[in-house]
Amino acid sequence: MAKWGMVIDLDKCTGCQACTTACDMENDTLPGESWQDVLYYTEGEYPSGQMKWLPRPCMQCEDPSCVHVCPTRATYKDHDAGGIVFIDWDKCIGCKYCMIACPYGVRFFADEKPLVEPDLKEVFAGSGGQLWDPPGQSPDTDYRRGIGVQPKGVVSKCTFCYHRVKEAPEGVPDLDEDDPELVDYVPACVRTCPPKARFFGDLDNPASNVNKLIGNKNGIRLKDHTGNRPQVYYLGAGAGIPAFQPKS
Amino acid sequence: MTAQDNQSGNPALFTPMLYVGAAIAIIAFVFSGFMLMTQGHAAFNMDANVAWGLPISTYVYFALMSSGLTLLAALAMVFGFKQYYPLVKRAIWLAIITLVAGLAVLAMEIGHTFRMLWAIPLNLQVESAMFWMGVFYLADLIFLLWKFQRMERGDWSSKLSRQVGIAGFIAVVLAAGTLALVFGMMSMRPFWYDPTLPVWFYATAALTGVAGLVFFTYLSYGMNTERMPKALRMDMEGPLPRLFLILLFITLVMFLARLTTGLYANATEVNVVWADYLLASGWFHLGVWGGILLPFVLLLARGLRQSPAIQMLAAVLVLVGMFIERLYFVVGGQVVPLFKGTWERDLVAYVPSPTEWVLTVMGIALVFALYALGERLFNLSDMPQAEPGEAEAEPEATAEARS
Repeated sequence: MAKWGMVIDLDKCTGCQACTTACDMENDTLPGESWQDVLYYTEGEYPSGQMKWLPRPCMQCEDPSCVHVCPTRATYKDHDAGGIVFIDWDKCIGCKYCMIACPYGVRFFADEKPLVEPDLKEVFAGSGGQLWDPPGQSPDTDYRRGIGVQPKGVVSKCTFCYHRVKEAPEGVPDLDEDDPELVDYVPACVRTCPPKARFFGDLDNPASNVNKLIGNKNGIRLKDHTGNRPQVYYLGAGAGIPAFQPKS
Repeated sequence: MTAQDNQSGNPALFTPMLYVGAAIAIIAFVFSGFMLMTQGHAAFNMDANVAWGLPISTYVYFALMSSGLTLLAALAMVFGFKQYYPLVKRAIWLAIITLVAGLAVLAMEIGHTFRMLWAIPLNLQVESAMFWMGVFYLADLIFLLWKFQRMERGDWSSKLSRQVGIAGFIAVVLAAGTLALVFGMMSMRPFWYDPTLPVWFYATAALTGVAGLVFFTYLSYGMNTERMPKALRMDMEGPLPRLFLILLFITLVMFLARLTTGLYANATEVNVVWADYLLASGWFHLGVWGGILLPFVLLLARGLRQSPAIQMLAAVLVLVGMFIERLYFVVGGQVVPLFKGTWERDLVAYVPSPTEWVLTVMGIALVFALYALGERLFNLSDMPQAEPGEAEAEPEATAEARS
């Protein structure tokens, strides 16, 4: 079985947020609760201040702290599904311990005050336990893997668009959006990226393009000191996070 | 001394306290339930930054007060300090009801309370500190109820009763310790990350336990030690306030050590939390200086220490101060924005919502109502009948302890 990984080249990323929008549309997330977003950072001060940005999906860690803390095993790492970390929405009790334990802040309760007005939970009131009924709701639903419109009282996260990836032919080293045979199986953020800054493939396959990029361009993992060992790698300058300093 | 002699239940106080407390708890439950049904968890002010807020800190407060009361009762039940026997039954009852209140608040906070009842036992995630916290607090509650039932039958020291007491002590040590580790093992939250956090939780648990016991004992007797059974009065004038003082001293020393290391640390997630969040808040200062230092000073002089009014004042200060400290502890681990970039340019702002406060009021009202119920149904000042030969020795021992 493949071990799916993502490579994000920060030298190519323009911070356009197309990936964020594609993710929102694909996964029917509420505004502001994007499973994948682009974070902006400022570093230094005038006149030498810099702006940096960093696309941030779930890192699908090899040793995920969120899995260890979950008291019900609702969060689990599925090695039969490429090592993706899922949340079983039928087991999640909404204790939010995984949100505390995730070093990357990529888990979303969403059953909270709206981040953007108007509150779409009121505009498109949810039925059948869903937080909301988005217009044109995606037909893909798999509660055991946290795929679909998020129900009330549970945590959600990026699934590497498993509902697409699972349909890919067995043994394929990379899912490249430029390959017409594979384009439908590529995660939404990778497929949409205008400057082609994202790559998706099998980290266990030495011939995969993602492995070559990581090897040839010194791919790094964020916050590697936490021991979580992400399956998402970054290339290029700026693949780090400035230490927090209050700005006021 | 018969059970009737010890009876402290004052119908003039406890009947209205029971009904008013129960009414407030029910109204608070209905209100917060209505808010959750209509608004979902948007009724709370928690979000992706501060996932755990006031309801969790209220749960931690009550759970640790319960643990502290059990530790206090263990002095007599497990370690043989017989001078504490007059306090044991009230301490156990208070431990039961504060744990119930804490669990009630927690149940209203989480996303799927009823799912928790089957999902946790059926999935046995033994790697999770939260799983073990649940297991040990459940065991703690069962042993507390069992021990109370034995005491109610007059069985204080049979082999079974002693074994239940020891089991309860072991359960509570593990429970409070794993509750600490729920926070203390989070290396991605440096403000909490601390292998010695269980020690801080034990010390402050014992402190709030003693404060709660002092508060409710004086409440039962209308601040009048003359109405108390002799052995209880001796406890309230000697060993208990002295234990109170020692626990205040230990807590104060540990707090100063935490404060110093926090401010000395270069790590932003630790230093900024102490300097720009905790110490920047007047409430936090009120909580720690008013809730630890001031009661410590008040109880330093023996004359003041024996005064019921001063003890009561110190107990109220500790109960309020540690409530504030728990809230700042729980929120403090989350105020440095995690991976938010310029979306959060400053420390995360969190103020509990009215529904969160109502949940806290529900917990407090539940404690008062259940305490009044306990006073009406049971003799909480009951203690073992002195065995032949002990009758003379015990007052001497207690008199020694007073000095």
